Amino acid sequence: MICLISGCGGQPEFSHSEKFQTLKPYAQIYVDQVLDNYFGSPSDMVAWDKLPLELHYGQGTVVEASGRMLTVELQAPHAEITAGTEVLWDSGILNDKDSAWILEWDEAKHQAKLESPLATNPEVGDAVILGPGQILATGRMLYAEHCQHCHGVAGDGNGPTAPYLNPRPRDYRKGIFKFTTTQSSKRASREDLSRIVEDGIPGTYMPSFKLLTEDEMTSIIEYVMWLSMRGELENQLIGLLADSYSVEAVEDRIAGGDETSDTIHQEFIDAVNDPDSFPFEVDTIVSRFTSEWVSSQEPDAEVQPLTPRTPSSDESIAKGRELYLKPSLKCAQCHGEAGLGDGSQTFAVSKDAAGQDNLTPGLYDTWGNLVKPRNLHSGIYRGGRRPIDLYSRIYAGIKGTPMPAFSSTLLRKSNPEDSGSEMTDEDIWHLVNYIYSIPFEDVKAGQGGSSIANPVKDANTASEEDSEEVAVN
Amino acid sequence: MKWFWCLFFAFWPIVAIVVCLLAPGNNWWFPGEAASPLGRRIDDLFYMILWITSITFVGTQLVLAYVLFKGASDTEPGTANEKAWFSHGSHKLEVIWSSVPAVILLFIAFYQLDVWAEYRVKDAFPRKRMEAVFERIHQDRQKNDSLALAEVTARQFEWRIRYPGFNADGTLKALMPDPQPTDLYAVNDLHLPASAPVMINLRTQDVQHSFFLPELRIKQDAVPGLVIPIWFEADQQRSYQLLCAELCGWGHYKMNARFVAESDEQFIEYLRQLEREQNEDRVDDAPDTDEEE
Ligand code: HEC
Ligand code: HEC
Ligand SMILES: [Cu+2]
Repeated sequence: MICLISGCGGQPEFSHSEKFQTLKPYAQIYVDQVLDNYFGSPSDMVAWDKLPLELHYGQGTVVEASGRMLTVELQAPHAEITAGTEVLWDSGILNDKDSAWILEWDEAKHQAKLESPLATNPEVGDAVILGPGQILATGRMLYAEHCQHCHGVAGDGNGPTAPYLNPRPRDYRKGIFKFTTTQSSKRASREDLSRIVEDGIPGTYMPSFKLLTEDEMTSIIEYVMWLSMRGELENQLIGLLADSYSVEAVEDRIAGGDETSDTIHQEFIDAVNDPDSFPFEVDTIVSRFTSEWVSSQEPDAEVQPLTPRTPSSDESIAKGRELYLKPSLKCAQCHGEAGLGDGSQTFAVSKDAAGQDNLTPGLYDTWGNLVKPRNLHSGIYRGGRRPIDLYSRIYAGIKGTPMPAFSSTLLRKSNPEDSGSEMTDEDIWHLVNYIYSIPFEDVKAGQGGSSIANPVKDANTASEEDSEEVAVN
Repeated sequence: MKWFWCLFFAFWPIVAIVVCLLAPGNNWWFPGEAASPLGRRIDDLFYMILWITSITFVGTQLVLAYVLFKGASDTEPGTANEKAWFSHGSHKLEVIWSSVPAVILLFIAFYQLDVWAEYRVKDAFPRKRMEAVFERIHQDRQKNDSLALAEVTARQFEWRIRYPGFNADGTLKALMPDPQPTDLYAVNDLHLPASAPVMINLRTQDVQHSFFLPELRIKQDAVPGLVIPIWFEADQQRSYQLLCAELCGWGHYKMNARFVAESDEQFIEYLRQLEREQNEDRVDDAPDTDEEE
């Protein structure tokens, strides 16, 4: 009780990834320094400019400034700007001077009345940041309220409720998200992430957060991406250092002869201080995932079907079924011939990331969790039930899982004889139509109070099945 | 000390009276005014019972306080110093204070019957007015089709909603007990016509939950294995809170959702919107339109 009141639980901390402990203490300190430098701690976050994220309420330039009035031109879109928002001068004579604070904001004119008059007026065109880092701060608050108990403070998918869930909450630190509508080589788009958060993942414990406002959603998504980037930097940096500076590697090197513990430590310190060594590596890691995230947001990263969905028909469904059973596509090897999720691969022994046999036979995802191919009879589609969702699942696969991308196998010339004919993605749509039909496969017409094949229904069968009995209490 | 106890017991009936007088104006009993005709009748029942219990409580407390004061002043120095009089059982009194409450309880039981029946007994549902809604929104239905316009399935920790889809001729299908290929799906966002009785079928996928519309005074447990019809009528076109009122697990508090009561046309347009979103294939009209909310 006293703990609750005085907050003696302490500030939340970003937990370290599993491999952190294998490093030599000095390497651990360096990892901590890098992360602290660029990301800070949960209670003192750093909004690092280099990350491709919208971390501020708005960014723009000065149009007019005098006394207490400040008019700015903002890059669209920007978040709602409220009284008390900080105005940070980002260039010009006021750069690095004290921030100003907004007293009133006129959204129509993008004009602010400041809390106190400016001592020096900035020049037209000087860069300003409104509410620096505020989106990140809001995101953290909302994340702590709604997501943290499952996804963990550091986004490691290891919050206090996580051990009780199957599938486990997503660990963001690999930068991989399963249910995207982007090409298989791309990451998730912001829209993919926000649709997941808005609608939840049916069939798992990931709930829907429908009632979040648009601004709240933006903040949460930016924060999730921020956590993902932080985790990815941590993981990759540790991976890099572990080669030469894990406790084990250092022991091996000493055993190898020439080197001693001290020379290795000295070598490490030199590498840290040499801009071309570790600092460069850190830059490379960050640049790589940054450009990957950025390119995944572009329109051409999206999965774009070539043709509209083929209307569902018995013929299309039959073609889909045929494709589904085609040995070269292997759908049935995983999902089973009847689509029950019990194909032969679910009984095969597989290897984990380190090349060891997994103890339980079956398929595993990138996070090392056992995944079952979906039972296609359930009618539950975790990544969404829109045609574009199922199309993307087949076209680009489910990232981080054994479910592969079929874009290269299923796109074909519309006329197999004519190599000059256009490409078509009909086959994917046939498969989609088939998948939609599976949950209704063994429902006979008239069953369940309705007829699937014949929409004019038989009133007599209906009355028995009709569920409106009087319920007491 | 004895005066302390006298004042102590005299204090509570006064508090009760003050609370009863202040509460309705300050919205202490309810989350705002009832937003449905049935809700107002339920509130009336509540107030009637509150009257009965308050009068009884205040009355008995006043008698208790009186007896204490009398006893206390009778034992003051300088008075006759009368001892309390002790009695052992009075048949007549026993009969009176058993039968009076029994009569009151019976009265309440009968008095609330029709509200209860209308809310819970299917034959007393306002069927005619529900059918008028189906007419207005052009639902293509047979006599025995479900009266429900949506199926609400509770699950840990969200509300999943299933609406019937449309026929090719533009009419709305009837809701079937089992999922249909044309069904429309939503989550945590229940839309239904306002100003008319509308019905949903309530189910649960896992444990017991409770469908709670506080402003409409609707509360119904969702019980595994049962499909429970509930009807309600929202006065105004606006959004109302939808909560879970049964502690269903650690994420119970997450089960808050929205019930939007709207005009018939808006309701149909909402379903059309769901249909468009659900059929999104990113090709036809304009590319990239799938992200519209
Ligand atoms: C009750 C636990 C729980 C809560 C609370 C929760 N999640 Fe999840 N989340 C999950 C689980 C479980 C999965 C993984 C589902 C799967 O693998 O199919 C997941 C997956 C995700 C994914 C990955 C989707 C993908 O395509 O890979 C994102 C992003 C996500 N959650 C974000 C959030 C955000 C943001 C919040 C808070 C607003 C949140 N989650 C709250 C349990 C939760
Ligand atoms: C190597 C095994 C494998 C193959 C081959 C495979 N799948 Fe899958 N599939 C999976 C796994 C595993 C999942 C579940 C992934 C998860 O949610 O973690 C899955 C999920 C799915 C889903 C569910 C998507 C959702 O949103 O819930 C569909 C649909 C699907 N697969 C269709 C297919 C089709 C069609 C084919 C053949 C063209 C196919 N799969 C081939 C393993 C496979
Ligand atoms: Cu619940």
